[in-house]
Amino acid sequence: MASNSDYALSLEGIDLYYGYVRALNNINLNVRAGECVALLGDNGAGKSTLLKVISGAHRPSQGVLKVHGKALEFNSPKDAANAGIEMVYQDLALVDAQDTATNLLLGREILRPGLLGLLGFLDRKAMKEEAKREVAQLGVKIDTLTRPVEMLSGGQRQGVALARSAVRIAKRAEGILLLDEPTAALGYEQKVMVEQLIKRMAANNIAVVLVTHDLPLAFSTADRMVVLNRSKKVADVETKNTNNDEIVGWITGARPAMDNM
Amino acid sequence: MRKPDSLTLLLFVRNWGIIILFALLWATFSLWGFPIFGTFTNFSVILQGAAISTIFAAAIAMGVFSGALDLSVPGAAALSAVVLTKCLLSGVPMWLSIVAAVIASILVGLFNAFFTLRGINPLAVTIGTLSVTSGAAALITTGPPLYGFEPMDWLATNLYFGLPAMFYVAAAIYIVATIFLTQTRGGGRFMASGGNSEALRRSGVNANLYKVLGFVLSSALAGVAGIVTAAYTTQGNPAADTGALFTGLTAVALSGISLAGGRGSLPKVMVGALVIAEINSILNIKNIQPFWGVVITGLLLIGALYLELTIQKQVSKRVVESKNKERQESAIAADAAANAKNQEA
Repeated sequence: MASNSDYALSLEGIDLYYGYVRALNNINLNVRAGECVALLGDNGAGKSTLLKVISGAHRPSQGVLKVHGKALEFNSPKDAANAGIEMVYQDLALVDAQDTATNLLLGREILRPGLLGLLGFLDRKAMKEEAKREVAQLGVKIDTLTRPVEMLSGGQRQGVALARSAVRIAKRAEGILLLDEPTAALGYEQKVMVEQLIKRMAANNIAVVLVTHDLPLAFSTADRMVVLNRSKKVADVETKNTNNDEIVGWITGARPAMDNM
Repeated sequence: MRKPDSLTLLLFVRNWGIIILFALLWATFSLWGFPIFGTFTNFSVILQGAAISTIFAAAIAMGVFSGALDLSVPGAAALSAVVLTKCLLSGVPMWLSIVAAVIASILVGLFNAFFTLRGINPLAVTIGTLSVTSGAAALITTGPPLYGFEPMDWLATNLYFGLPAMFYVAAAIYIVATIFLTQTRGGGRFMASGGNSEALRRSGVNANLYKVLGFVLSSALAGVAGIVTAAYTTQGNPAADTGALFTGLTAVALSGISLAGGRGSLPKVMVGALVIAEINSILNIKNIQPFWGVVITGLLLIGALYLELTIQKQVSKRVVESKNKERQESAIAADAAANAKNQEA
């Protein structure tokens, strides 16, 4: 049995109340570096809420959150980001009127050398090159980097948002990536792209937590499946030791919860 | 499927409409107002008449780009004009008076930013500030405009190379601000904060800083407009010129953007202001009541925004169509992949 400090992310007894509603009920979850955990459940099961707790958007009412064995309290998403946790939201948060390169490099723009750089002048050519390099490295397909992202298709927009988080997390040695329904609006090719991207991130020793309704995606990328039902964890199982029917049973509640949850 | 050409045409209208409109009006008015309208002298007069309203337009544009329509612009201008003239009349040197006027207007911007960041609707905050600033300006002058200060023709009507000084002030503002917005990191983040400040925040940038900058730039430019107005009219008038607000807002709308923030081009805003000046000039030349100019400005504002809305709807419709197409294609691709797998097995 691995000791606690081996986990990149570790949740112990997380409770969250919305008024009188118990949105999360004593959740325990451990994710190792380089492991992809799929967080599954029906609508309202609490998986998005749990993701918000990990990303610092919500404070748990009770319980401990540890990153690499260190107990932390997040007051805002920024605290979580500082601890190496990156979240890709469903709403993407792209600047519609600006192009891919600008969106990808927002917050880490490249300046011109010399005096102009000191004055804050952008090196657009270098930014375009860098964006091209990063996008190619991640295997994301985008027609043109100079088109405003509002003109891109849904899949490509998702690609830009994913790439932005992926690049930021790849710069850290032991990052944690949270994905909220990354394939919700995607076409087949883009789904395959996201799938490969997730696998590549995990192979780079990043801990991935994937919230999704897309069971084929979960089976193809996740090392472990965690199922929530009505704010409780009902299953936590290695992907190779389970199958589609079992998972669906836990999601719908037709199958009783595993022991020791 | 509709022809893709109609979308290209609409986008062309959005991107270049204002410049085409300017040229068309120029050609039409040159014929209609022959021989006066098309002359260089009239051009210079138009530039002089448009200079102050283009500076106001820049002030409003900065607010709109950063995502907040700043209605206090005329108030900041009035306060700045009154601070300037009061200082001059009290014997303060010219340069220091100008600095004091600009600082006063920057304080107005900080005031707006403070309350907006606390979560009050920016329209309500800035309209309150409009009232506060014009009231404060009247308190400084004790009511009527201030006269008899050191002439400032060098900043207003003096001609350099045949063009009035005010034109150069406006041109300098547009050149510097355009370079800032399009070429620098600060400008890029400024526009991003207007477009999606959440995206900026998630990128680890202090997005609120850029909101403050929007209000400060807007008010500071309003302050410059107030200074030039005082120089041109040789008085420090505490009455806020709300007409300048409408002209400025119309110029911004004519430049082909919605007022939602995050996009826009200053040079086009300037052309928008020039279009309004063109119209006022022809009304003057043809001896038509100037009130028509006010009516037309309002109609242009609504018309431009309506056109922009129509184009925006068409564009999003087209993007949705392409997404649906992507989904269809993906379903076909998924089928094909499944079939291939089955055949293998």
